Formats: sequence, C-alpha cells, structure tokens
Amino acid sequence: MNIYLHELRAYWKNTLIWTLSLGAGTVFMFSMFPAFSGNAVALSDALKNYPLMIQLAFGLFVDQIGSVSGFYSFIVTFLTLVGSVQAMTLGISVLSKETTGRTADFLLTRPVARGRVAAAKILAVFTCVAVTSAAFITLSAVCAQAVSGAPFNHRPLLLMALSFFFVQLMFLVLGFCAAAVIPKIRSVLPVSLSCVFAFFALGILAAMLGNEKLYYLSPFKYFETYRILTTASYNPPFLAAWGLVVAGLTAAGFQVFIRRDVRA
Amino acid sequence: MAIVEVSHLKKYYGAARGIEDVSFSVEEGEFFGFIGPNGAGKSTTIRTLLALIRPTAGSASIFGKDCVKSAPEIARDVGYLPSEVFYYDGMRVGDLLKYSASFYKKDCRERIAYLAAQLDLDLKKKIDDLSFGNRKKVGIVQALLHSPKLIILDEPSAGLDPLMQQRFFELLREENRRGATVLFSSHVLSEVQKLCSRVAIIKEGRIIQLDAVGALREDNYKKVALEAKAALDEALFKMDGVASLSVNGSAAGFIYRGSVNQLLRVLSGLDLESVTIQEPDLEEIFLHYYQ
Repeated sequence: MNIYLHELRAYWKNTLIWTLSLGAGTVFMFSMFPAFSGNAVALSDALKNYPLMIQLAFGLFVDQIGSVSGFYSFIVTFLTLVGSVQAMTLGISVLSKETTGRTADFLLTRPVARGRVAAAKILAVFTCVAVTSAAFITLSAVCAQAVSGAPFNHRPLLLMALSFFFVQLMFLVLGFCAAAVIPKIRSVLPVSLSCVFAFFALGILAAMLGNEKLYYLSPFKYFETYRILTTASYNPPFLAAWGLVVAGLTAAGFQVFIRRDVRA
Repeated sequence: MAIVEVSHLKKYYGAARGIEDVSFSVEEGEFFGFIGPNGAGKSTTIRTLLALIRPTAGSASIFGKDCVKSAPEIARDVGYLPSEVFYYDGMRVGDLLKYSASFYKKDCRERIAYLAAQLDLDLKKKIDDLSFGNRKKVGIVQALLHSPKLIILDEPSAGLDPLMQQRFFELLREENRRGATVLFSSHVLSEVQKLCSRVAIIKEGRIIQLDAVGALREDNYKKVALEAKAALDEALFKMDGVASLSVNGSAAGFIYRGSVNQLLRVLSGLDLESVTIQEPDLEEIFLHYYQ
C-alpha cells in the first residue's frame, strides 16, 4: 500500500495535467460540432473526394458525419492518440525511473517481494489512467448531450468513449512490459510518441489493405469506430484478443521484472 | 551460528565474469571485512546476498534462509548501505526516511531522530539540495533506522569527511555491541583493520585469503628495509617469499613471507649499515596479494 500511495503522489500532478488537457481538447472539438452538422451534406460531398486513408485517419465517415456519434468518432480517434501517449509514458516510467534514477537498489532491498512492488506500481498507474478515462468518458457524455439538438442513441457514443480506456490500458501494459525488458529507457516521451504513432500508422495501413487479420497488430484497430457506429457493439474476437494481449503483456512484464538482475 | 553463508557462489553476466567461486561465512555478532580492489567481485557478492542479482551457480543464505527465495523475509532484518546512494529527488529527507520506515512493522521515529542528531542531518531539506556527503548520511540513517540484525556496507565511507567517518564508525561499533553482525566491504584497508575482526580478501572473483585480521598480519609476513655499505644487487634477494622488492643503490626493501632463519642467513652475508624488520600493515600485505 505504501508503494502504491508513493507512486500516486509522484504522478498526481502529471495525471491532472493530462486530464485537464484532454478535457479541454474534448470541449474544444465538441464545440465544432454545430458547424460540422450544419454543413453535413457539403462536408460529405467534400469528404468523398478525399482518399480512403484520410477518412480512416481522421475517423470521419461520409455516412455518419452529421450525427453527434459520427462526429464523436472523429473526436475519439484523435484523443485516443493523446491518451495512449499518456498511458504509455506512465507504463514505462513507473518502472524505468527506478533504473534511470538509480533508486532500484533502495526499493528492491526493502522487505517486499518484487511481485508486490510490480503490482503496487501497475495498480498506481492504472488508477491514473482510470481517472483520466473516467473524466474523459463523463465529459464526452455531457458535451454530446449539450451539443446534440435532438435525442440520439447513447450506446455507440459510450462504447467509443469506453474504447478510449481500453486502448489506454493496452498502451499502459505495453509500456510496463517494455520497461521490464529494457530497464534503461531514458527518453520516455519520445519513445512513447514514436511507438503510439507507429501503431496508429500500422492501423491505417491495415485498413487500407482491407486485411482484418492485420488489425490485430495495432491497438487502435481493436475497437474500430465505424463498426461501433454501425452495430453499436464491439467485435467479440477483438475484445477477446484485447483481453489476452493485456493479460499476456502484464504477466510477461511481471515475470521479467521479478527475475531480472539489478546491476549497479 | 552463521548469519551469512556463501558457498561456491558464481555469477556471470553473459560472458563477463562477476564472481568465479566465492565461499565464506560470517558468524553472529562478527564485524567481518571484505576487501579487494574495484572489479574483484565485492559488489557482485553483496548484490547477490541482497537478491538484487541471481547467482549463476552456488548458494547464499542469510539467517539460514536462501537469499533468493526468502529475500523479503531476510530484508526485514538487514540494513544496506551502498557506496553511492540515490533517492527520489523531489522528496524531503524526513519524508524519504518515513517512506523507508513504512516498510518495517515497527515505530522508527525515535531512532530516526537519534541517528539524524548523531550525524547532524537536517530532515527538512530536499534530497536534491543535499551534497554527496549529506546524501550519504541519509543512506546511513536509512540503513540503520530499523535496528537491523545484519548490516551490509559496500564501500560505505566514501564521501564522508574524517569527522563524520569517525561518528559513523562509532555508530557501527554501537550497533555491533548491541548484537548486530556487520559485513563491511572496502578497499580502504585501514578502515577494515580498525573495525573488523576477520577479513576475506577477494581477487578476480575468488576468495584468496580468509583469516582473522591479526592472524593475517602475523602470518610470517615481515617488512624488511636495509641499507648496505656498498651497492646491492637484486639477485641477492632472489629467494622464495620475497615480494615488492625495491633496490635503490645501497638501499633495499621488500615484504618477506617464510622462515625468519632463512632470511637472517641471507642478511648475515651482507655488509650492512642498518636493518629494520617490521610487521607489515594490512595494506602492504594486500598489495602483495595483487602482485
């Protein structure tokens, strides 16, 4: 419990800044909805002229652009990128800071099993990500209600908002596992940024090639917004694969962290 | 009862040697020295004892428990001070020590206050603002605040001024009198000589000598210095047991291990101005091991 609280104290300011920034981004993007919905027909026509890649990259779909949920697909696509960077930096730094700051000797000679140290640490950063996600989901629902002139089906919007949390979790454990395997990651933010954007690009490439099997390679494609918009559900095989990947990366990270040598 | 038991411990980092074959034991209440130059394997041995690294072969136990399997249980009664201490920069000294104390199921507040007073340590300062020496003091308090039964020190006095070193050594003696066992690794032999009752010398990953500090000095080692009436030839001293030989004109000096009679027979053949035969200090014996 003391390690958990220590980590929370270390990350609360960072979490607050990310949460406020994401909140500001959400409000700002929702504020553009009236302009978009007012010109939905013209926008759809314009969008038709853009390559498919642009539509996929921006999460803007010709047939959905006029609805608040369709517009939210655009918002969630962008902000999930931001949230993923936050999650991955947390996942990496919660372990790597002990190596780069050379405090691992102090922490790992306390009377606590390494497994418990790892558990307390991942639980602390999970809490940070959960707080950010909860704020994002709540704010998304409130903003959607505020800008939609007419009643709408909340389910797709909430599923998309929740996918923000799921993708964050995936990057969190990816960062955690990476830091367990490569203890001395010093440039946490650049590494996270490159990794997140590489996976994003991979997702677009997979979509362009139309090969669904390749979707498994990008965390961003596990919860595809177009499918959520049209079916109001997640894709079950992808949901199961998400669970397996998150559990697998967490278990691998634990195993490596417990067994690795802490060199002077 | 052996508090620390190390048996044929071996550690390789890939192809690089950490330690080759280290065996020794430290008895309860002992002040045990562990000496050797940098890279000999002192820290590797200590880090294996602390379960920071896993041995390639051999075994190590503390309080009769396996160092890897029972690491958290062992750590409850172990205090560790590395040569360089690193803590969370944003924290204040008092908060760091409170955090450290929170891992032990006992109230350490009085002990922290006592140790901080002994070492003139300001608990309100931020870790970032501390000098190297003051960080070391934080390390000392952190290592002793839970009154450990075993204190493991890896080159502990670096960074402390002579006065602070004295106080620190006095604290260690106090802990030792209280019943704590001390494993003291160093390359400063005068420290080991002053504090320890037994010493293990490590060279290239192997223990090459394990003895009482007194016995190590008495082990027939003699420091010989002589001045002859005429120039001396190095060949005169080519006999078993001579080390660190230096001949400078009519003066010569060396460390000798072996029969004193044999030594005197050789010396009696020389036309000498003066001769001194002394007990060498540990430092000189130690240098001899490394030649």
